[in-house]
Amino acid sequence: MSGKIKGRRQFNAFFYSFAGFLFLYSAYLFLSNLDQVFVTEAAVKTREVTGWGEDGEILNQFAGGFWKDVYFWKSLNLTLIITVLTTLIATVAGVPAAYALSRYSIPGKSVIDVLFSSLMVMPGSVIGICLIVMFNYGPLWDLQNMLGFKFAHSIFPGMLIASLVLSFAFGMSAWKATFDSINPRFEQVARTLGSNRWQAFRTVTFPLAKTGIVTGIILAWTRAMAEFSAVLFFCGTFGELPASRFSDFTKFLQMDQADWLSVAVWAQVEFGNIEYGFALAFVLVFIGGISVYIMHRIGAKGYVW
Amino acid sequence: MGQKRRGGWWPALCIGLTGTILLIYVLLAASNWIYLGWHDTLYFFSKSRMWERLWLTVWTATVSTCLSLVIGIPAGYALSRFKFPCRYLFASIIDLPIVVSPAVVGAFLFGITTRFPFDWVSEHYDIYIGRNVYGVLLVQFTVTVAFCTRLMKASFDMIPTRFEAVSNTLGASPFRTFFKVVLPMAKNGIIASMIVVWARAAAEWEGLMLFVGATEGKTDIMPFAIYLDWNGGMMGWVTSMSIVCMLMAVSAISAMKIIGGKSNVW
Repeated sequence: MSGKIKGRRQFNAFFYSFAGFLFLYSAYLFLSNLDQVFVTEAAVKTREVTGWGEDGEILNQFAGGFWKDVYFWKSLNLTLIITVLTTLIATVAGVPAAYALSRYSIPGKSVIDVLFSSLMVMPGSVIGICLIVMFNYGPLWDLQNMLGFKFAHSIFPGMLIASLVLSFAFGMSAWKATFDSINPRFEQVARTLGSNRWQAFRTVTFPLAKTGIVTGIILAWTRAMAEFSAVLFFCGTFGELPASRFSDFTKFLQMDQADWLSVAVWAQVEFGNIEYGFALAFVLVFIGGISVYIMHRIGAKGYVW
Repeated sequence: MGQKRRGGWWPALCIGLTGTILLIYVLLAASNWIYLGWHDTLYFFSKSRMWERLWLTVWTATVSTCLSLVIGIPAGYALSRFKFPCRYLFASIIDLPIVVSPAVVGAFLFGITTRFPFDWVSEHYDIYIGRNVYGVLLVQFTVTVAFCTRLMKASFDMIPTRFEAVSNTLGASPFRTFFKVVLPMAKNGIIASMIVVWARAAAEWEGLMLFVGATEGKTDIMPFAIYLDWNGGMMGWVTSMSIVCMLMAVSAISAMKIIGGKSNVW
């Protein structure tokens, strides 16, 4: 009897050790850089390599205290506004589309499934290049010339489009899985009792799918926050552009001369403001951590099998 | 009857939206082919530079997938079966590398390679993890191991615990139960997850941008080479390589579907 308990204990210890290693690695990766955020002004000034501009100009702008900088708040504002709008559009368009893919007979359904699923293993740079090639050449380019404004390298259509591509696909796959898991029989019963298709959806399937829809919304929002390559390729950086480049509307919303948050991390580290980049990165980690924790609590399950 | 007809707008809206969205995504996928044309595609596919990069991508992705499977399968099983306090918190932290922007992962890896285990290793042994192919493997491993654990947890969640309980009551040891009952039942799920994890490893490049940088022929795996050649203005290379990446992703997902996976990550 005691041998069995010992065997069980060894078994548990074996599996716990792998999970523990993974947890420690992840925690170390994300927490060990926390000291970078609290670098003081004096430490930055005494650092040896500060920049290599013409006639000794210091390129390194950061001098401690990222929260005092307007660029930080504008970037955060820009990212939050765009991701919320993206999630809104994805939800409004994605829930009916997922419902159609789950319930109605559409020709070539397996091909559609492969297309949307392959987006989750598609390199971001490919999506960025596809967007650039799609909008900057051919008929869509002519259309933009006719309309008089460009989609690429702009905040309002541009960033929205770039963040929408993946966030929509991820959200839709979650919503489709939710609708797949709900028995269509309930709806059929509702229809025999006299409700029409819309009422059957509204009163039967929608309340049952509520948790799944919320999960999909969180997933789409998280994915939009994590978007990097598509925004980098399609929009680039805005932080260095002159103020005249931005419309009054974006100035009113305090979104001008700011970067998409994850692009800003990259840009700041590349420009040599490593501490600033890490401070921005911790904001993303904080937001991502909270949303993934909520997703786990709700009980979202990801599966490929 | 009239009430029924009034509800007819709902399926029409759903199917119409699906059609529109599908058209946009198909156009997105087809734009590279339309841009490049058949002859140029053949021209770029016949260059050895393309195939060297593809080989680099394939072998780094394979190595990092193997490494992450070694850790991901037991860790996924532990997260799936064991109940311990704060397990959602632990699971969330393990999931962080795939949830946050990959640029952040690259920046943080850049931060930790000057710290304890890595500086010790490079000081005492002749292994430098940074701007070489080991750095590529580290970035791919960091992202795929989280992804792999997530998928393995989902695969093990699909199997009812009753079979293990029966096996245990019949006197099999826990390890014997795991290898003789759980793994054979999860086999298809593990293979399907493995394919997706491989494709995800081959698609990882954002971390490389901050952490590894590019050395032509050494660390430029295909998605990263797209960025480099795009900066160099070589649109022919860029579009032909993105076609290769797309084919890789689509064939991996198709293989996974043929095995029978359902592919809902999250």
